[in-house]
Amino acid sequence: MTKARSELELRRDFEALTRTYRDDLYRYAFWLSRDRQLADDVVQEALLRAWKGFETLKDPGAAKQWLIAIVRREHARYYERKRLATVDVADVEQHLEATTEDPELEDMRRAILGLDDQYREPLALQVLMGYSTREIAELTGLKSGAVLTRLHRARAQLRAAIGLTEADSAEPGK
Amino acid sequence: MKLTAKFRTKTSEGGEGAGHPPSRAEAATGRSDDARFEDLLERALRIDVPPTGTVKRRPRVTWEWTRMALAAAVVLAVGLTFSKLQDAAYFGSDDLASDVMAHVRHEPAALVSTREAVSPAALDKVLQSAGARLASLDRPVTYIKLCPFRGQMVAHMAVQGQNGPVIVILLPEENVDVPMPIDEDGFVGTIVPLGAMGGSFAVVGEYAGDLQSIKDQVADAVRWRL
Repeated sequence: MTKARSELELRRDFEALTRTYRDDLYRYAFWLSRDRQLADDVVQEALLRAWKGFETLKDPGAAKQWLIAIVRREHARYYERKRLATVDVADVEQHLEATTEDPELEDMRRAILGLDDQYREPLALQVLMGYSTREIAELTGLKSGAVLTRLHRARAQLRAAIGLTEADSAEPGK
Repeated sequence: MKLTAKFRTKTSEGGEGAGHPPSRAEAATGRSDDARFEDLLERALRIDVPPTGTVKRRPRVTWEWTRMALAAAVVLAVGLTFSKLQDAAYFGSDDLASDVMAHVRHEPAALVSTREAVSPAALDKVLQSAGARLASLDRPVTYIKLCPFRGQMVAHMAVQGQNGPVIVILLPEENVDVPMPIDEDGFVGTIVPLGAMGGSFAVVGEYAGDLQSIKDQVADAVRWRL
């Protein structure tokens, strides 16, 4: 009886967790892969894995980081196996919904798609997930300084791509 | 006005004020543009998220199969909103057959009845990425996709039988000692061991009639790449 209640609670907690984070996990997976179908697959597989290991998650406060790390790992597994060739930005733009009423948004999305992976991921983690530089560094295995540099370069490239010359080109720490 | 145009105007001003510290008004404008840039960046990253399982895959062909695929998508959506969490097998970690069925339900596009075969190039591309080869079958392969499954990338195919599609999933990393029957939610099938070659494959369909011949053909035709 006690065990059943405990399992029910576990499931309820997991359901609440996924309701809270699924959308952002999908967005993160999309900006990693630049492919809607792949993002969907990665998130589903990641959630299955997360459920299997949910009982071992001791700190509810760490759930978000835990889920993001699982999605990141699942995405990496996909690429390891698939050994993907270079992705052409023109091919991936089809995955963005048309937002003709807001051309600025489209311009920005195209620009983000054109960013190198090493710049796009920390940007997504910071803006979408609200990650601090330190948290991004921990997740990606980079040093904080390298994360700051990538974030700065990502924004500089986006500003250039949408027609804004970066006013201050000095990089952090330089 | 486009934000980009505004940015261009602002940054192209250089002649008169170039080299001087920005005035308070200019600094305020800069901060405002930064805020707009950040707002645009966040909105751009927040793409629309489709309901679970509705990502566009392949077009459906017949209404009957459309209804079935939609029903499967609904089942999937319901499952993934976790009202199906009562069913431990759905997330069952060690049950290969349940994981195969969960995967089949997650891929309703493969259940479309069609005679349009995938191209040999597309077939070979996925098989290569999945570490497999497949000699030609006497029935058309009408769906092929590289899918994540239990931590591996596997080839997920549909072979058209006389009564509709039969799902074949090649599992080079899943070793089973004996054939494992599948009978779940109206689907029947088998996970077939591949003996000394190692690995296995799953054959799943709604009609048992086609399964045996497709199973035998695939067992003869499949090889793993080294």
